[in-house]
Amino acid sequence: MFWRLLWKLLRGSGGRLAVAILALVSCAMVVSALLNLEFDIERKLTQEFRTLGANLLISPRNAQITGSSPAEVMTESEVSAAIQSVKDPNVIAAAPFLYVVGSAPNTPVVIAGTNLEELPRLEPAWRIEGEWKSSQAQQTACLVGRNVAQQLKLAVGSSVSLTYWKKNAQLEVAGIIDAGGAEDNQVFVELAEAQDLAGLPGQISFAQLSVSGTTTGISHYAARLAAALPAYEVKPIRQITEAEGDLLSRIRLLIVSMIVLISALTALCVLGTMAALAMERRQDVGLMKALGGSIARIVTLFMAEVGVLGAAGGFIGAILGFELSRWMGQRVFGQAISWRWEIFPWTIILMVAIALAGALPLRLLGKVKPAIIFREQ
Amino acid sequence: MATLVRVDDLRKEFGKVRALAGVSFNVEAGEWIAIMGPSGSGKTTLINILGGLDTPTSGQAIVDEVDVARLDESGLTRFRAQKIGFIFQQFHLVPYLTAVENVMLAQYFHSATDEKEAQLALERVGLADRIEHLPGALSGGEQQRVAVARALINHPKLILADEPTGNLDEANEETVIQLFRELHSEGHTILMVTHDPAIGNLADRRIEFAHGRLVKVTPSNDASRNAYR
Repeated sequence: MFWRLLWKLLRGSGGRLAVAILALVSCAMVVSALLNLEFDIERKLTQEFRTLGANLLISPRNAQITGSSPAEVMTESEVSAAIQSVKDPNVIAAAPFLYVVGSAPNTPVVIAGTNLEELPRLEPAWRIEGEWKSSQAQQTACLVGRNVAQQLKLAVGSSVSLTYWKKNAQLEVAGIIDAGGAEDNQVFVELAEAQDLAGLPGQISFAQLSVSGTTTGISHYAARLAAALPAYEVKPIRQITEAEGDLLSRIRLLIVSMIVLISALTALCVLGTMAALAMERRQDVGLMKALGGSIARIVTLFMAEVGVLGAAGGFIGAILGFELSRWMGQRVFGQAISWRWEIFPWTIILMVAIALAGALPLRLLGKVKPAIIFREQ
Repeated sequence: MATLVRVDDLRKEFGKVRALAGVSFNVEAGEWIAIMGPSGSGKTTLINILGGLDTPTSGQAIVDEVDVARLDESGLTRFRAQKIGFIFQQFHLVPYLTAVENVMLAQYFHSATDEKEAQLALERVGLADRIEHLPGALSGGEQQRVAVARALINHPKLILADEPTGNLDEANEETVIQLFRELHSEGHTILMVTHDPAIGNLADRRIEFAHGRLVKVTPSNDASRNAYR
């Protein structure tokens, strides 16, 4: 009889309850989408942040990276071996760098020797005219910064002559880089070429890595790498990782604030509907009490009704929230956010809690006096 | 016959208004009592106290050896479920429950529901073809018969009827009164509030109230019973 009564109560107050369930569905939809976003935001943002470039630096201890000729250098093979040994699937790119200040005809120029094939993965935000490069075999190819290309009137396919002390290299411009920073004033050549020019075979100034994951995860990886390279300094690039962490915290706070606000507003909406419903049901409750219905049994019946509403609202809203989060993912990150199934029960539980919180006026029905209700009529 | 209801110096005050001013009387098991009097004389207050819907200010109201005045809220709830069958002037059926579900509602709050038994109760009051109808689809007389079936379903010790025919036309009134006659002949104890002297004459005794006091008790006789239409 309990479930039969519950069904009849739900059907009997369809109009009023439709308002409450609409509010709950809307709330569940937004909350589940936001929760899904909250769970996935770290992964998505770290993916986005990786377009900003390297976030981990291996350098000689106390070295100052100024882009000028190296005062201190590291052994390339040592660094390379350490990176190979400390395997981590989150390492997106790793590239050694050797910086020297040489000259193009009549113009001083910063020559950056690196593994040119790694640059697109290390600096995905850089724009390039021409081609990234080239293969290892194409030793004489180089990438020139936009400002250098302008100054030396270089175009893709033209050749450039670089000189360092008495050594000279004739290179072909494979692409022109637009990085929007100091890199626009540099010429990127293969590491071996730079080492040959500088007379520093097997030496590098520093190495940069792009590692995805949380700030903590990156720090853990840096610590493992540091243990493998005790002679060098391994540290996350603070400005980038701190900016990532700060932005992540702010976005999370925003999402949680919105969830709390939306939940509170929904509870108020349900509260208003239930207050009206409680007034309507005073007569029914008076009658039920006159028939010997205990307060606990009657209130349980009404609370179960509200609980069913919350569960139904949560269920429908969570399904709609799935679609909403897919849409939000496409709009914000250009790809769908992967759905987390654990959000489904949590959304339903939250909606039941909100519905029960909003159903406080129904508890007042426990105070209804049948004699007074009947006298009023 | 055993005394089922014993009312002793019963008083009820609503602030400065005295609804019952020291009422005393007994009702034997199987008796049909008509409670009569003008509006505001305390009839409904008496019914409410005997039914456990209200509590007296002082005095005793003992029903089937239970002093209603001494019961707390949960005790009153159990008392209503187990000992009383209410029939109201306004019927008081739940509008979104069918006839049989309205009867089962009383079973639900008493113990366990039995749909078959509820259907039989409705068949008994002549509503076999109205079992699945909502109250809105029933006439006033039919609604009151559903209320009678609901009042009887838990086999109460005492049936309290407050103006049960007050909202009915003549034809429906006769049908409902016939039901009360049958209940009386089966041995049910009935306390019925009524304004209609003809209906009052059908009872074993008429107890008349005025200003919260019992002013007259009149036993009925066969002549007065037969005078009803």
